[in-house]
Amino acid sequence: MKKENFFKRHWLVMLCGLIVGAAAVVLSVLGNPKNMGFCIACFLRDIAGATKLHQAGVVQYFRPEIVGIVVGAMLMALVGKEFKPKGGSSPVLRFTLGAAVMVGALVFLGCPLRMVIRIGGGDLNAVIGLVGFILGILLGIVFLKKGFSLGRAYKQSKVEGFTFPVMLTFGFILTFIGVSFFASSESGPGSMHAPWYIALGIGLIVGAIAQRSRLCMVGGIRDAVMFKEFGLLAAFGCIILAVLGGNLLRALIEGVPVSTYIKFGFEGQPIAHTEWLWNLLGMTVVGWGCALLGGCPLRQLILAGEGNSDSAITVLGMLAGAAAAHTLKTASSADGTGVNGPVATIVCLVFLLIVSVTHLRKEQS
Amino acid sequence: MTEYLATFHTHLAALKSHRALTGAGLTARMAPVPRKISSSCGTCVFYTADDPKESLLDSDTEAIYRLDADNAVKLKEFE
Repeated sequence: MKKENFFKRHWLVMLCGLIVGAAAVVLSVLGNPKNMGFCIACFLRDIAGATKLHQAGVVQYFRPEIVGIVVGAMLMALVGKEFKPKGGSSPVLRFTLGAAVMVGALVFLGCPLRMVIRIGGGDLNAVIGLVGFILGILLGIVFLKKGFSLGRAYKQSKVEGFTFPVMLTFGFILTFIGVSFFASSESGPGSMHAPWYIALGIGLIVGAIAQRSRLCMVGGIRDAVMFKEFGLLAAFGCIILAVLGGNLLRALIEGVPVSTYIKFGFEGQPIAHTEWLWNLLGMTVVGWGCALLGGCPLRQLILAGEGNSDSAITVLGMLAGAAAAHTLKTASSADGTGVNGPVATIVCLVFLLIVSVTHLRKEQS
Repeated sequence: MTEYLATFHTHLAALKSHRALTGAGLTARMAPVPRKISSSCGTCVFYTADDPKESLLDSDTEAIYRLDADNAVKLKEFE
């Protein structure tokens, strides 16, 4: 097979990065919180709140973006004949790893995608988070190279593959026909959202193009370190560029100081705290957990849309993790870490170490 | 000599197959699965050999492809 040049091989994923970055800015303009235009962890936490899995009144909203991403990926996979239901690779562990990743993300206050979006808004706490994220992925790579495996997945029925996207769509439809069925925040981040049809539309586009391009925040660093492949990492950079450019444009159009949307510093950043150690370790949990799972939270949604029930289980674990984080007060807020956040972070790191060490299977070949 | 590509159900299977292929004196390298081959983001092994060397590949191999000048031809798919 002919070796194509870098741009020819990776233009789609780089375009996807630009679209995701632009989508984050557009969603912020239309109502989503600043620097939180697009955050898988935050959106899943809001859905956990909407479905009353937790009672934190300020983060409850059935985010249409999540539905759009999963359904967009599913439709694109069906069109490309890539909807191939499979699963059965350590489901309970994946559920728990998903929960741990969410606990870590809510200590930092954001998934890897929001971390990059925060960097694009000048939030230097997110740069600390990035250091932790890279550290976590490197730890995961150490174990992957030593023979870490959660075991293989097997072909599943079509019904198994469709269950998660259909369940999510059904839940979303219920938000319209049963006004009081789900909770919806009246203040705080959960109350801030773009119109549902735009959020859903953008989710569909991002889901479809991320399925085609395999955009993954963890894969970028993993592939660069393990295989010297930089396509996904370039997409990572494209997201930052698009957010920076979008924020700059927004300030110019609105005629406000650029510092309204791009403010380099640690203090006073939107929905962020300055406790650097826990920002770092929270994202270490995310990076390590996602490296073991084989993809970031966005990628898990895309794979779930392709019929991968292991990823669907992981997303359900994330929902449970979000519920636990708010119920057990491990989630951070703009005021700082939750009262049990540091302990939970350490518990998650110990859990990841145990899973990593106990799943080294090289010797069994 | 022909260039082949094998995809796997796990990263570990790729790791073991790569080791077996290089241990047999063949040229092999691990890489992310090319997008044209699959929507999966797993690890594959490119290798050069006289034949697909199925016996050297791990039991969790997903498929073997022969790489021609312009495309990849799927030779065999495993359950």
